[in-house]
Amino acid sequence: MTPSHPLITAEGLVKSFGSVRALDGLDLTIAHGEVHGFLGPNGAGKSTTIRILLGLLRADRGAVRMFGRDPWKDAVELHRRLAYVPGDVEIWPHLTGGEVIDMFLRLRGSYDARRRNALIERFDLDPRKKTRTYSKGNRQKVALIAALAADVDLLLLDEPTAGLDPLMEAVFQEVIREKRADGVSVLLSSHILSQVEALSDRVSIIRAGRIVESGSLTELRHVTRTTIEVETAHPVGDLGGMEGVHGLRTEAGRTVFDVDGDRVPQIMTALAPREVRSLVAHPPTLEQLLMRHYGHAATDEAAADAPASPDDAKH
Amino acid sequence: MSTVTRASEHTAHGTRSAPRTRSGSRPLTGTLALARLIVRVDRIRALVWVLGVGAMGFYFAHAIQIIAEDDTALASLAGLYADPVGRMMVGPGFGMDDPTHERFFAAGYAVFIYILGALMSIFTVVRHTRADEQAGRAELVRANVVGRHATLTATLLVTAGLVLTASALVLVGALSAGYAWEGSLLVATTAAAVGLFFTGATATMAQLGESSRSATALSGGLLGLAYVIRMAGDAPEVGGTALSWASPLGWAQQTAPYVDDLWWPLLPLAGGAAVLAGLGYWLSTRRDVGAGLLPARLGRAEGRPSLGTPLGLALRSLLGTLRGWAIALVLTSLMFGSYAQTMLDSADSLPPELAGVFVGEDIMLGYLAYIALFMAVFVTAAGVGSLQQVRGEEASGRAEYGLSAPISRTAWLGAHLTITIAGVLLILVAVGAAMGAGAALSLEEDGASRFGDLLAAGVLKAPAVLSILGVVTALLGWLPRLAVPVGWLLVAFSAIIGTFGSLLELPEFVFDMDPFGHLAEYPVEAIAWEPVVWLTAIGAAGIAIGLLGWRRREVGRI
Repeated sequence: MTPSHPLITAEGLVKSFGSVRALDGLDLTIAHGEVHGFLGPNGAGKSTTIRILLGLLRADRGAVRMFGRDPWKDAVELHRRLAYVPGDVEIWPHLTGGEVIDMFLRLRGSYDARRRNALIERFDLDPRKKTRTYSKGNRQKVALIAALAADVDLLLLDEPTAGLDPLMEAVFQEVIREKRADGVSVLLSSHILSQVEALSDRVSIIRAGRIVESGSLTELRHVTRTTIEVETAHPVGDLGGMEGVHGLRTEAGRTVFDVDGDRVPQIMTALAPREVRSLVAHPPTLEQLLMRHYGHAATDEAAADAPASPDDAKH
Repeated sequence: MSTVTRASEHTAHGTRSAPRTRSGSRPLTGTLALARLIVRVDRIRALVWVLGVGAMGFYFAHAIQIIAEDDTALASLAGLYADPVGRMMVGPGFGMDDPTHERFFAAGYAVFIYILGALMSIFTVVRHTRADEQAGRAELVRANVVGRHATLTATLLVTAGLVLTASALVLVGALSAGYAWEGSLLVATTAAAVGLFFTGATATMAQLGESSRSATALSGGLLGLAYVIRMAGDAPEVGGTALSWASPLGWAQQTAPYVDDLWWPLLPLAGGAAVLAGLGYWLSTRRDVGAGLLPARLGRAEGRPSLGTPLGLALRSLLGTLRGWAIALVLTSLMFGSYAQTMLDSADSLPPELAGVFVGEDIMLGYLAYIALFMAVFVTAAGVGSLQQVRGEEASGRAEYGLSAPISRTAWLGAHLTITIAGVLLILVAVGAAMGAGAALSLEEDGASRFGDLLAAGVLKAPAVLSILGVVTALLGWLPRLAVPVGWLLVAFSAIIGTFGSLLELPEFVFDMDPFGHLAEYPVEAIAWEPVVWLTAIGAAGIAIGLLGWRRREVGRI
């Protein structure tokens, strides 16, 4: 389709299973050629969203378009352009790994033996074994190779590396980067933060069936706090009283505090006259992002603000 | 303390048979706790097995007395087990020259009790050894303070307990039928000995392959081999030949309960049980947890192009189930067909209850029509089994994964239905041919025409089979949860009405619900085409409705 339109748009998706509301007004936009991290805890609705995108489930309410088409009605046409890796890979136990891979490649009509064999080698899979003797990790590799060896425009990956060891995780990240370089779009659902952080151009955080935060990693950092550890020749003085500074404390002669992303320039200006000897800044991890939405956000907030309050009072 | 034990065991895991324990009980640490766990996990399953074996013994012991009420009936039925075909099917036929009910029980039916008991042993042992290892549960257990031989010992103890309990029930069954004490005890003890033999054998087989399937296949293969050797050994002569002695089931039957009451043939069974269990223990020390002694058989590294089509996928998914049914049904058909001559010989002395099951005046044709109907119901069961697997594809998530490829839902289900229906029709033809071949070989006259009769009788049941599969398919599309239970209910209903319908006083509409009842009972009755047409129409409509529902509904809503 025309790249000016987003690849996937979902607006106000609602999906209930009996009394359980799996999706509760979910909005999602994924652009062409981006790796989109789909981050959320188990049961937040990630797999349900992907199943709706695959046309296996139908949303109760809301609109969803993929390549400009309706996933429920045009499933077959859309499936020619995408490959899917299920979260809990169930494959045919009496087929070998190689047979499952080839079956999917042939069904998609894009059999490229060279690419297939290269991936089998990179993921270190023995394709001759019956899949019933495979571990979870090996079953996952089969689904990954079947998807990654296909000539498609979109990869829908539902927790694709949950059973892989770190070495294979690294291979996976490498292959995904190559795919992105080839212009393939990827929806990468995960609750593994480091993976999403390492691969994604943009991230949507889902919680209880709703997207609570969406944007590039930079944009998301913008709304959170950077932790700064600084050692200065002169006392930092009333730094703790400045706007956007939280939790100022002194640890082994170093001053440690959190600062709101948009206040960093002002803080740097304020620190300069105090003769900075060393400075370490930690960007927020996705753990922190998630903690804000899923953790005991309120109490964390309070705990972080507590030491700052006396300073405020003094001021 | 426990840590030390575990550490030393770990280092001794390879080739070194280290002097790691001073007291011999350490490899068995935790056995009783594990045995309790097995009993807890398996309490329903074990109860069903034990009661099943016991009920089978009870049923056989009492059923004979109902089928053959007096000595004349007994004498005519004795032919069943005295002629070569009968001996091939059930055993050496001791005492059939002077038949009594208890001799009938031992000569004709006891072997099935032994086989069911052996299957109980095989499944129970595999379940708690290799299957646990394959699933990774064994690793979790072994990480605790558990001796290296505890799992196998606990499994063997529990299995032996089940075998002995089931045998005790068999004894009660035989005694309750009024059979002689010593012979009944011998039958029960033999059942126990066979069960223990296969318990030991499975302990060995579980060490060999990496999958529980291979352990079950090897142990079941041993049982099948024992049966086949016994077949070849028992067919030539009454009392069996030297070849009968090459089979564990042969040893079991050479005890000749209620005739010679020999106890010593149980010695090789008991000895074999001990030796094979010991071999299992020894082999288990030669391998790592989770590993097998035999290399896993490797398959194709690349798929055939035919696999990359909906039909190829459906064929590979369903072939195993259909093939298993086909083999079992063809063998059963061959056996039923081969009883034709015996039926003819005993026609005059058959008890009215049995004769009442068959239609028409001619007992032979009636028998042929009955087995054609009975086997067709079983072929329907094969079809329902195949559709159950289609449902399983959806429940397991494989359908969802398969449908993520560019296959339409209609193509996916259509392919699975095509394979199911083509498979069922093929089995129906094979079953007809096998019944016909069995009858043709055993009958002294008219053999060739009976072959044609039975082949046609089998194939002519296709519309009824199709109608039931159509109903199940329609449910698969609209009310998937009901599809499989209703399918089995229809099969059971047809079997009961087909067999006992004439003996039961049931209202007309109940009979009308049995699709098989509407078809003419060929070869007794002439073919009626009207029901053929509308039963086929029901089947076709059910399939169309099912496909429509499947297109509309969501996938994987289990």
